[in-house]
Amino acid sequence: MTTSVEPPEEREAGTGALLRRRVAGLQLQEYALVLVVIALFVAGSILKPDTFPTWDNVRNMLTQASVVGVLAIGMTFVIATAGIDLSVGSMVAAAGMFGGILVDPEGSTLVFILGAVGFATLLGSVNAIAIAYGRVVPFIATLAMFSIARGVALLLNDKLPVGLLDLNGGSFGDPAPFSLLWFGTGRIAGIPISVFVFLGIVIAGWLVLNRTRYGRYVVAVGGNREAARIAGVPVRRTILSVYVMSGLLAGVAAVLLCARLGSASPVSGNLYELDAIGAVVIGGTSLAGGRATIGGTFLGVLTFALIFSLMTQLDLSTEVQQVVKGAIVLGAVLLQRPEARL
Amino acid sequence: MAAPTLAVRGLVKEYPGVRALSGVDFEVQRGEVHCLLGPNGAGKSTLIKCVAGAVAPTAGEILLDGEPLPVGNPAASLRRGVATIYQELDLVEQLTVAQSVFLAHEPRRGPFLDLERMRRDAAALLTRLGHESIDPRKRVGELRPAAQQIVSIARALSHDVRLLIMDEPSAILDDGEIETLFEVVRRLTADGVAVIYISHRLDEIRRIGDRVTVLSDGRTAATGLPADTSTDRLVELMVGGAPQQLYPDRPRTAGDVVLDVRELRRLPAVRSVSLQVRAGEVLGLGGLVGSGRTELLRMIYGLDRPDAGEVRIDGRVQPPGRPDRMIAAGLGLAPEDRKSQGLLLGWSQTKNVSLADLTRFERGLLNVRAERAAARDQLRRLQTVPDDPDRIVRELSGGNQQKVVLARWLLHRCRVLLLDEPTRGVDVATKAELYRVIVDLAAAGVAVLVVSSELGELVGICSRIVVMREGEAVFEVDGERASERELLRHAVAPTDSADLIEEVR
Repeated sequence: MTTSVEPPEEREAGTGALLRRRVAGLQLQEYALVLVVIALFVAGSILKPDTFPTWDNVRNMLTQASVVGVLAIGMTFVIATAGIDLSVGSMVAAAGMFGGILVDPEGSTLVFILGAVGFATLLGSVNAIAIAYGRVVPFIATLAMFSIARGVALLLNDKLPVGLLDLNGGSFGDPAPFSLLWFGTGRIAGIPISVFVFLGIVIAGWLVLNRTRYGRYVVAVGGNREAARIAGVPVRRTILSVYVMSGLLAGVAAVLLCARLGSASPVSGNLYELDAIGAVVIGGTSLAGGRATIGGTFLGVLTFALIFSLMTQLDLSTEVQQVVKGAIVLGAVLLQRPEARL
Repeated sequence: MAAPTLAVRGLVKEYPGVRALSGVDFEVQRGEVHCLLGPNGAGKSTLIKCVAGAVAPTAGEILLDGEPLPVGNPAASLRRGVATIYQELDLVEQLTVAQSVFLAHEPRRGPFLDLERMRRDAAALLTRLGHESIDPRKRVGELRPAAQQIVSIARALSHDVRLLIMDEPSAILDDGEIETLFEVVRRLTADGVAVIYISHRLDEIRRIGDRVTVLSDGRTAATGLPADTSTDRLVELMVGGAPQQLYPDRPRTAGDVVLDVRELRRLPAVRSVSLQVRAGEVLGLGGLVGSGRTELLRMIYGLDRPDAGEVRIDGRVQPPGRPDRMIAAGLGLAPEDRKSQGLLLGWSQTKNVSLADLTRFERGLLNVRAERAAARDQLRRLQTVPDDPDRIVRELSGGNQQKVVLARWLLHRCRVLLLDEPTRGVDVATKAELYRVIVDLAAAGVAVLVVSSELGELVGICSRIVVMREGEAVFEVDGERASERELLRHAVAPTDSADLIEEVR
């Protein structure tokens, strides 16, 4: 049958149209975000020429962004499955506290890291099982964990923080390699270790999402669960895995945060879930699932970091910052194409 | 002479890089059923969307009763009396019939809904359609698809409708229900309503249509033809070439049993079914909508767990409820509803084709070049249009979407292919292509099981046909000797079979 083969010249036109569609489609938001990041940096440099465009400030911004950035990568996978994880901020606090009491009064950095990451992974697994096997709606399951993990964090040391300076193995300004504070404040070639950790997780996240079978399954489950199942995708296992991963990355974020502060606090990580979800949404990942971009999330994290650094330097209060943060997230969702919304 | 109800002149619609309509002219008279025919991608959907106001045309004019219709304004089109019933029923299952009929224009008394009037008016509309037996208080989800469609029509009538557009209304109905639908259409046209009727089933067009307009490649290939124009002539106009043979030669040789279904049961839909499919044969599964065919297919494939019974592939029992294991054993399924079950509409053709076979492209990481090349090969083999593996599947016509699903299973080199209504909503020319693909696959040794509500296509391509009725296989016949009439007789329940057959004939 040769009823409907396209003539070759139309095929050429098709390639051009494809390019235009690509630019106009998924990646438009990413290109636009690059411009936003540049514009914000320029704006900051004009408004605060002495303090904003300095290496110190950039380093500071990136260090602070790396904690939420790690969470945002996990959140990208969760949202790609059309899910949500509201518990990451609470898990960060619980993970830090759990690691903290393990090494209090005495212990090693390795025990702290394994304890924190392991405990957060455990909490994430509770989310995962409730959602994948208990069929609890992700919003509710992780909202419950939002409360549970915060409560656990407060209970672990009777609402008190745990000091971690004993794990230092050096002085605050010059921590020994692979000591806890080194992960928070140490540098290689002037670049903070936590930034290396964040960038490493961004690259790994990109590869997993775009260049592995697993990543394809994650997006397929979010795009059309029934169609994914019919194509042989292990739907439950995939959903299970993203919440476990989100927990694990909350543990990593907890390590970075505690390492920077030199202590674990039961009230840390407050509203980090909003920052992470905001960065993902600004990046262009669809809240309805089926479309996810790690590059977008990375740019979303940078955008948030720049905005808040700028607002802080302009002496705007944290209350104002919260209002702005919420407004940006709302605006980003409104800008998504209609079919990508919830 | 009065102006026609609808006059479309020189209609052009351009999307970026695509010309969906390049000059369409046609007229629909008061009280006529005007059929719109054309291959997938010919522009039928775009045309009706322009008339319904869902999209604004680039050029041309649309006149309703001689007055220009505002473009790109669905509310205005509706106010002027243009109502559309789309292919997929767009009813909310949780609402009652009365609520559905008056959705978004509920009768009110002051700020409150006038529930009594709503129910009464809905009942009156259903009576006008000859379906007073549908209870306006019932939830739409409890109704059969045919009754849901009547509700959709009642909703259209709740606006003062002058022109009713029906996009493949028969696709989800069985033969008996189609006749009921036609009765409704005849009542409407007797009242002076003009109807645009889109269907790929030529026999229906002959039964209900007054005149036919054929679209081909975004243009009017012919307009105002009598409905009894010969099939060959219509197909020729659609494809713009010599008439094609619709059905290829059916496969004859059959090898060993590959798929062996033993006493599979899942109440209430499937009571007990055993059947075998051999390598190289096309087994047809006929029956009315609701006879348990789709449920049987889903169970075989592991999507639903059976209450009892087992499925063997090459003699080995397969674990129930595990589609991934079934795929590994060589099964593939093209589900009934491609859009909601078969495809990721926002994904490229490539990603849809490769999804069941990603392990093949894993070298640690996925080799996306090899993936794209392999997908393109299969898509080309099926002559999928456009020939662009990066094209998003949502933008493809129904027939080409079905080809993408088939390409996935070609890539998988599956040994058993389960096809549920493979040609639903597909034009005649693409149907012929799909039949050729199905028969070629069988010839290459694949065991094919086809569920279809179109008895004609089962008779046309199957080596054997099994008829299901009320969850059981009640009849089996060799494809060569099968007749539609006989299949239908076995498909309807014995008690009312005589009436129904009379009605359908």
